[in-house]
Amino acid sequence: MNQGVSGAQLRGQEGEVELMLLAVKNLYKEFGGLIANADISVDLDQGEIVGLIGPNGAGKTTLFNCIAGYYKPSSGMVLFQGVDITGWPAHRVAKIGIARTFQNLRIMPLLTVEENVMVGAFCRAGDRQIALREAREILELVDLAQEAHVHPTELPIVSQKRIELARALATKPKFLMLDEVAAGLNPFETKEIIQSLQKIKEEKDLTLFLTEHVMEFIMTISERVIVMAAGRKIAEGKPEQVAREDKVIRAYLGERYAEGR
Amino acid sequence: MFSLGDLPLSERIVFVAFLAFVFLFPWIVRSSYPRAVMINFLLFAMYGLGWNLIGGYGGQVDLGQAKNVGFGAYTTALMMTWLDVPFWFTVPVGMFFATLESFAVAYPMFRLRGHYFAIATLCVALVWQQLFLFWDWTGGARGVELPIKPIPNFTYMQFGAIGSHYFIFGLFMAQFLFMNWFRKSKLGYELQAVRDNEDAAASLGINVTWTKVKAYLITAAMGALGGSFYAVYHSYIDPRSIMHIDLTILIAMTAMVGGCGSMWGPIIGAALLIPLDMYLAALLGGRGFYGVDFMIYGFIIMIVAAFEPRGIWGTIERARRRS
Amino acid sequence: MELATQIAISGILMGVIFALIALGLTLIFGVMNIVNFAHGEFLMIGMYSAFLTSTFLSIEPLLSLPIVAVVGFLLGIMSYYLLIRYLLRGPMLAQLFGTFGLMLFLRYLVMFIMGPSPVAIQEGILIGKTVSLSWFTFDMSKLIAAGFSILLFVLIYWMIERTKLGRALRATSIEADAARYMGIDTEKMNALAWGIGGATVAIAGGLLANFYYLTPTVGMLFVMIAFATVALGGFGSVRGAFLAGIIIGVIEMVAGQYLSQIKLSFVYLTYFLVVVFRPRGLFGW
Repeated sequence: MNQGVSGAQLRGQEGEVELMLLAVKNLYKEFGGLIANADISVDLDQGEIVGLIGPNGAGKTTLFNCIAGYYKPSSGMVLFQGVDITGWPAHRVAKIGIARTFQNLRIMPLLTVEENVMVGAFCRAGDRQIALREAREILELVDLAQEAHVHPTELPIVSQKRIELARALATKPKFLMLDEVAAGLNPFETKEIIQSLQKIKEEKDLTLFLTEHVMEFIMTISERVIVMAAGRKIAEGKPEQVAREDKVIRAYLGERYAEGR
Repeated sequence: MFSLGDLPLSERIVFVAFLAFVFLFPWIVRSSYPRAVMINFLLFAMYGLGWNLIGGYGGQVDLGQAKNVGFGAYTTALMMTWLDVPFWFTVPVGMFFATLESFAVAYPMFRLRGHYFAIATLCVALVWQQLFLFWDWTGGARGVELPIKPIPNFTYMQFGAIGSHYFIFGLFMAQFLFMNWFRKSKLGYELQAVRDNEDAAASLGINVTWTKVKAYLITAAMGALGGSFYAVYHSYIDPRSIMHIDLTILIAMTAMVGGCGSMWGPIIGAALLIPLDMYLAALLGGRGFYGVDFMIYGFIIMIVAAFEPRGIWGTIERARRRS
Repeated sequence: MELATQIAISGILMGVIFALIALGLTLIFGVMNIVNFAHGEFLMIGMYSAFLTSTFLSIEPLLSLPIVAVVGFLLGIMSYYLLIRYLLRGPMLAQLFGTFGLMLFLRYLVMFIMGPSPVAIQEGILIGKTVSLSWFTFDMSKLIAAGFSILLFVLIYWMIERTKLGRALRATSIEADAARYMGIDTEKMNALAWGIGGATVAIAGGLLANFYYLTPTVGMLFVMIAFATVALGGFGSVRGAFLAGIIIGVIEMVAGQYLSQIKLSFVYLTYFLVVVFRPRGLFGW
């Protein structure tokens, strides 16, 4: 099984697997005979930005859901800061410091922008005043402070994505998973989101794990990329390296193109 | 904590005017029927606010609220007739039983969604109604009669028309203030988040099922409070009046027609439906025209459901946002 | 032993009729995922139609069934076009309340027209006749009603599985969008589901009227039985409705024997236990 170049190896810290922020070990996820994730092992280090790519049906969202607690892995382990969180329900995973956004926006339409973010803040705060204050701070960070009292459905998609980001950030995560955050955005909006993300990452010292179909986005922003196809991990390494690997090209474009190169 | 500061000024003004009107009502209007209508309105506004917690802010259609009202009413009635204890003693006990029973059924029920959940709540309420009809020790179909004492009586909370009015007004205000606090509390926000999107709520650290259960328990307690009032106000209860699905329908309707998920909705709904019901009944000669009121309710529900699911308040809000 | 067999057979007979009542509900749910709270009222209207037709035209109640079927069919179709169509666009809360409102409206409309007092069909071939077979005795009307139910079940099952129309219905229930792309008029399919659902349950009512008393509120009782049956059989499954109906019929009969005042609680409990522990029921998805 080709493991590729892991984060630990890139940093020359082999053997220190225990310090990994997030470690996925030999994860399997089966849905009644259909194997969505097979023997996936992934390590993420504190402060990294790692991208997850692969053709449709590769099992990327399944992996996300297994980590975030929406699916129970069929076998394998998920460790977060050394703690075994395999099979934990989603709300526990959130409380321990893993946040996520959703591919199809999951905004709460009946709450205002500010209230949406407050819900996230309540993860850590018990008091309304504190939650309000924190929500306002984060809205500043993502440039949505002006729209605090507006209903999200009245704003463009890119703003709604920023709201979802803000909301996830309000839970004070150490690890943020972004599921196709650039989906449906035009190049200008994508740049907007990239800028927001970079700003956020620096301010909040986060580790980002993104899955994406928009190649320019993910290849630009990621320090390291993991490639999945048909439920398995097929490559891992720096974006430029991975993009040139035969099996990656084959996975996306099929045999002909791989040979043509 | 109890402030309405976050709501628009116009709404606050109207509400204060409304409160003043209700407060002065028994002095403005002297005849007994309108006074009874007002009391009933306040009771149903109270019921509606309570149901609105799970139904509106929670988005879970609970068709079993009558059982909670029944638990409160029966606890109060039975404790007062058997043990001769003051009313206020029986209220927490009634709320306790309602909450306890709700807790027992809550976890299995909240595994269900949508229609299945609604029907399950209905089933539970029907089972309880059957049991209370069947059990002799709670009076069975005969019901329970409370002794009539010379008024005013603070143990039995029996008063004349004016006293009863302020009694229910006080309860209504307490309920309103509680709901106002609730909607801005952590649980209130978590509940609304769950209503709007369960998966997203979970990703924010919210234990979805437990949040729904908590809301359900609170609604049960509030229903029981209303039931306790009903018992002493009418001095007679029986399973057909107090644990009947018709009561749940009325309660849910006031919230739904007025507008779920808002503070004003249940009040508006009750203000529309209760006088409609009571004056229609009086007009048609004390139920000579059987069930016309419910026929009209059915019609109203259909119209609201088909064309304006957010209720009257929802329409107002939508119009306001457009301008 | 004899009592047990008598109960079992009576239970099965009633059960088959329950199954027929549930059939309409499960069809509608299968095609468009909406629970019709007014289903019991359709039944009740079927019962009253049989009563009125046989009384005013002085004909044998069984012969009124075709009229009852038409009434039920029209009722279903009208409900769809005048209300359900709009509800489907809205949130689920609205759908629930919408059919609930329909239930109230129909129930109290009939109460307004017919009054609240119970009535019963007095004359007919089946009324009050019993059949004895060694040690069993049962109502002729129940037997014939059960027979009709089975016939109807077979008919509907055949229609759904073997005819083009049935296939169109099934397509709409599995994936409405795809069905539309293939040229199926899903609006018509929805309306048809309501029409057939209404007709079958009205016929069940017409059959029931031969041995059950009529009141405007009788719908409430039977709709809960129907819910339990549909839940047990699996929402959307015709076969499931049949089997579940029989099971529920036996449960109700047995409970009625020993704890008759709260026998319905057992039916409600069945619903509760089924949806909590085996939401898919026997055959559903």
